Amino acid sequence: MKKLKNHVDDLFKDVPESEQKKAVKQEVLENLEEKVLDLMEQGKEEEDAINKTIVDFGDIEDLKKELGVKQPAKKNMSKLNLGFSIWGSILIIALFVFINFAYSPQTIWFVYPTFAVLWWPLTMYFNWQRKK
Amino acid sequence: MLRSDLIRGHLDSIILRLIFEQDRYGYEISKEISLRTDNRFQIKEATLYAVFQRLEKKELIESYMGSVSQGGKRKYYRITTLGKAYLKEMVEEWKETKEVIDLFMEGLK
Repeated sequence: MKKLKNHVDDLFKDVPESEQKKAVKQEVLENLEEKVLDLMEQGKEEEDAINKTIVDFGDIEDLKKELGVKQPAKKNMSKLNLGFSIWGSILIIALFVFINFAYSPQTIWFVYPTFAVLWWPLTMYFNWQRKK
Repeated sequence: MLRSDLIRGHLDSIILRLIFEQDRYGYEISKEISLRTDNRFQIKEATLYAVFQRLEKKELIESYMGSVSQGGKRKYYRITTLGKAYLKEMVEEWKETKEVIDLFMEGLK
């Protein structure tokens, strides 16, 4: 029976501690023990009975969900990325404009790097729209 | 053994029905299901306890500790009034569903 208890402990190890968890675990263990005893009465060896009980138990994922183990939700970062790209490109473009007008005001060249830099927020905007 | 994913959506009703008949505890229910279906369907314990949690949260069933005279201090479940109403509704819905599915599944050679 120690093996059964270990197995149940193992099954529940990802579930955060709570009164509810303790109660369910206790209930599950008691019912499984009864099943083992029942199987033994039908003529199974203890080892066999425990193994069958463990196999029959099945996949615990549903139960975990009911007990509130959150599946790690992937945070949607695309909005943040978009904001960063907009502010970043504004800064870079402002730098180009400043250099342009401070050192060579006779030729307007800042437009060219501006177009190149604008790809960045454009990509992020596309990404954000796609994930919305 | 039947494919459990087809039965899955009706597990709540199946378990409610068994608790509706009389107060029962976990292992008793899984045994009863195997018995009545002649082992064609066996519920996994993990699923069973998930259903208990869900039904209890929805206040369709409630649990209490059984006395020793009932054969050990086990956690028993009883159906609530809400649970009875829910079960009745599920039965009606199933009848409808069965008729609709039968329209397409019956009579094929």
